[in-house]
Amino acid sequence: MTNYGLVIDQERCIGCQACAVSCKQENNVPMGQFWNRVLTEGGDKLDTPAGGYPEDGDDGTLDMHYQPTACQHCENAPCVKVCPVNATYTRDDGIVEIDYDKCIGCRYCMAACPYNARVFNWDEPEHVPEEGTGDVEARPQGVVEKCTFCSHRVDEGLDPACVVNCPADARIFGDLDEETSTVSKYVNNYETDRLLEDRGTDPKTYYIRGEMSPGRPQTSDKLESELDDDAMPGVPAAKSGGDD
Amino acid sequence: MGDSEDVGRRDVLKAGGAAAALGLGGGGYLNALASGGDGASTATGLESFVGQNEVTQTVCSPNCRGKCPIDVHVRDGQIKKIEPHPPEDEQYKRACVLGLSHTQRVYDPTRLKYPMKRADWSPDEPNPTGRGPEAEFERISWDEALDLVADKMQSLKSEYGAESVLFHEGSGNYGQTGKSFKRLASLFGATQSAWGIDTNVGKGFNRITGHGAFLPPTNESEDWENANTIIVWGSDIFSSQFQMDASKVLDAVENGAKLVVVDPVYTTTASKADLWLPVKPGKDVYLILAMMHTVFEEETYDTDFLRSRTTAPALVRTDTGELLRAADVSVDGRDDQVVAIEDGEPVALEPETEGDYALFGEYTVDGVECVTSLTKLRDHAADHAPAAVAEKTGVDADNIRTAARWLATRGPGGIASSYALGRYTHGHIFGQAYAIMLAMTGDYGNHGNIHAHHPGGTTLAAGDWAAPSDVDPGPSLIFPEYPDAMIDGDPHEIRAVYSIESNMMGNQFPDRQRYQNAIENLEMYVVADMHHTDTVQQADIVLPVPHWFEQEDIISGWGSHPHLGYRHRVQEPLWETRDDYEAIRGLAERLGFGDRFPETKREMLRELASRDDAIDFETLYEQGTQRKETTPVVKYTDEFPTETGRIELYDDDAPSEEGVSFELPRPLEDRTADDHEQADEYPLMFMQKHSRFRIHSQYEMVNWSREINPEPQLDIHPRDAKARGIEDDEYVRVYNDRGEMVVKAKYNEAFQPGLVNTDQGWWARDFVEGHLNDLTHNETSDVGRCMAFYDVRVAVEPAPEDVDTSMYTEGNPKGSGAATPHTGGD
Repeated sequence: MTNYGLVIDQERCIGCQACAVSCKQENNVPMGQFWNRVLTEGGDKLDTPAGGYPEDGDDGTLDMHYQPTACQHCENAPCVKVCPVNATYTRDDGIVEIDYDKCIGCRYCMAACPYNARVFNWDEPEHVPEEGTGDVEARPQGVVEKCTFCSHRVDEGLDPACVVNCPADARIFGDLDEETSTVSKYVNNYETDRLLEDRGTDPKTYYIRGEMSPGRPQTSDKLESELDDDAMPGVPAAKSGGDD
Repeated sequence: MGDSEDVGRRDVLKAGGAAAALGLGGGGYLNALASGGDGASTATGLESFVGQNEVTQTVCSPNCRGKCPIDVHVRDGQIKKIEPHPPEDEQYKRACVLGLSHTQRVYDPTRLKYPMKRADWSPDEPNPTGRGPEAEFERISWDEALDLVADKMQSLKSEYGAESVLFHEGSGNYGQTGKSFKRLASLFGATQSAWGIDTNVGKGFNRITGHGAFLPPTNESEDWENANTIIVWGSDIFSSQFQMDASKVLDAVENGAKLVVVDPVYTTTASKADLWLPVKPGKDVYLILAMMHTVFEEETYDTDFLRSRTTAPALVRTDTGELLRAADVSVDGRDDQVVAIEDGEPVALEPETEGDYALFGEYTVDGVECVTSLTKLRDHAADHAPAAVAEKTGVDADNIRTAARWLATRGPGGIASSYALGRYTHGHIFGQAYAIMLAMTGDYGNHGNIHAHHPGGTTLAAGDWAAPSDVDPGPSLIFPEYPDAMIDGDPHEIRAVYSIESNMMGNQFPDRQRYQNAIENLEMYVVADMHHTDTVQQADIVLPVPHWFEQEDIISGWGSHPHLGYRHRVQEPLWETRDDYEAIRGLAERLGFGDRFPETKREMLRELASRDDAIDFETLYEQGTQRKETTPVVKYTDEFPTETGRIELYDDDAPSEEGVSFELPRPLEDRTADDHEQADEYPLMFMQKHSRFRIHSQYEMVNWSREINPEPQLDIHPRDAKARGIEDDEYVRVYNDRGEMVVKAKYNEAFQPGLVNTDQGWWARDFVEGHLNDLTHNETSDVGRCMAFYDVRVAVEPAPEDVDTSMYTEGNPKGSGAATPHTGGD
């Protein structure tokens, strides 16, 4: 089986917002809404650290990381369970998705999602330019929407937009059930966390913290599984302890 | 980020730190995606358009360090999205949040549509006081606009001389059009603009090595992964300058390189560093002298390099302080050669020669007492031991030693020096200092050496086309000289300005009010631009320029990567916009120089390309990019272009400023000095960081960015804020003796107490009151002659209670304001 997941190397992430904006562009996300937010893990505001500035020549305690956060595509997705009309469902490849024709806008899923990953179109969605952007149709007023791992691209053998557009090579998408995939290698070989693991949601988005990974240089926008080995010169092997 | 996005943010954060392409017959650059959807509805009930777009390969072209080749996707006659396109050398595939957002910029309401004339301007009655925020414009035809401009240029030429017309070129469009602008200026005899921004550090570096204009050359970014120590000095390279190439620095770090960041601000880059040195503003020269001190003390200098490629062994006369010349004493060699001691005997020092030259010591040659240059440097550094400068610089002595030790002992590395250092008045001294530091550690000419915070990239070599050798061009003025010329006629009168690719005079230049006063002396101000900027609002004649995607060009990879790119047209120019080249050629025809300009832009590009043997027009056109193989990846492998052919550690022909002479890098500060006369009245230093959301003042209008970064803010340490009774998110008045601005305070622990910041590039319309460049000044140092944007003092207080902040606080249910720009352009 295919089971798509995402690895985000926070040691590589530079908080540049390219993933947040290219997500909006590709997915025709309305103004005022974000499917993918680059949160600052530090101070209370964007791009501010926690801790204190060095005083009297000491090293201080400042610390800052970026945590890009979108739908975690949970294996045990609470949003799927609470949807009264089965609009939110899990695809065979593990992507959690919404059938917008079925969504009745009750927003139970928003309450159930611990990641604040979903947004609701209270108003008539507004797009700039008005005609919309990207490669997927806009959602109407009155529905909940969220990250789809760019399922419209994945279905055509392409990586999600946020992955293709990351200038830090910090986002790696692939099949967690394929042990030779880069995502599998990194999950196995690097220290990774998942958000709010104690909630039992079993997310399929993994965050690397501590030792930096080589990332995944993107010279093609195709899914890793679509590339033959010769076409992936930039894809590094796992750093150590890999089973290949 | 808007408030709605902040909801629940804390809950989400981890606890405790935990084309392939099908040719379509129109050339290789025009593609459709190979794997195509059929527009069928997905299970989401939505239509997918994957594979339905017409894709054109082109290039993003601001004055940033990207020049990124990109694909522009068009569907139903409209641009739908941007993606990076792998260039010929695909390791340079990248783009940033700005290049990816042209989808919004192209159609923004600030786009200029038609040629216009200020309603109350005429050639004979210019009514200069009618310029400014209240000015009204009327639509005119292109012919009318060009006739007006050409006639006025001719009449000014006959009355005051051609040099009374200034051709001002900014950096807002990185193609070849500027060459045609310079060509017309040269033929007409107009005054031409010369750069007065970011030239400071390079001047100091150049004095020592013979290399460097803005910043010195550095190895291309593909080589940065070979560095073992990267000292980023005064630059947030992961937010600006290098963000699109971040992977290359990260790869070096992942390979085990030590990343050191020297910055008063805990930046994104600092947050990734192994060691952060929180230097106080303006104290950088003290700090690097202390690092030299460590290298001397620990004897970790590169003796082979110092002997073979520098003047470290060159003798300095004790009596005059000048270098001993072969002609001064009975040493074989050319008259002007410097002298070293080899095996106890004086010898003339040749370039690139390895000898067992004495690096230290006192020697008497023919009765002349001397010491070696390196001895002079060591004695100078002796006054700046880490412990001695720790308090002054704010940097722990052990950390200074660690940084120096890493650079000197861990193999190849370098200092990614920045433009920010040159934004302090005497920033050229740092350029001199770090050129010497890297000579001590032998970090020139090797893989893994770094000398600037952006790589060199490449340019199109077009010879004398821009300044034809058969004409005598007019004089030039550097930017900071404009106001004196316009107001006082010093060094000569300027009565008209033709400006392209620039929002400088209305927005980006320091001491903005003085430039506005200067403009009042003009009889004609012609501004060509893509958007209705603050500079355009000052104009008499407005020439609307198409978006980059609507005008073809050859884009240099200067400061970026070793490719040239062909900027293919994605769509026809919207409305009545016209390529600057067409306007320039139209003027040239009217001024009698029409035969000197090819009929079309394409022909001009072809002619320019034919002058550069390293590229081929057809290949470049078809491929969209061509790597220029003549661009070396590793720099400084040849003899240095100095008098001695070596890096000149001791400069006996040094300039001086304010009584300080720069034979060796001697610290000199302007407003950062602790005892500066304005230190009590204006106690805070004020900088204007480059953010990831704008390139200079470009992209200000991008709605997606404005959702994340909605308005100008003042980054201020909470302690500085609280001492002034300023709450977080409260509007504050920032002021000094030149002007003021009102912006929102942002408590930010990343900022050193005593230092405040507003990111640059906001337009006047974005400020509640005033403008950040109403606070900056236009004074330059004698040597640097470079605008010192960061060498500025301010005071801060809560904004007056009656200040109207409704533009950000009302009618804005989504908390962003991004979707509905509060003031429109044309």
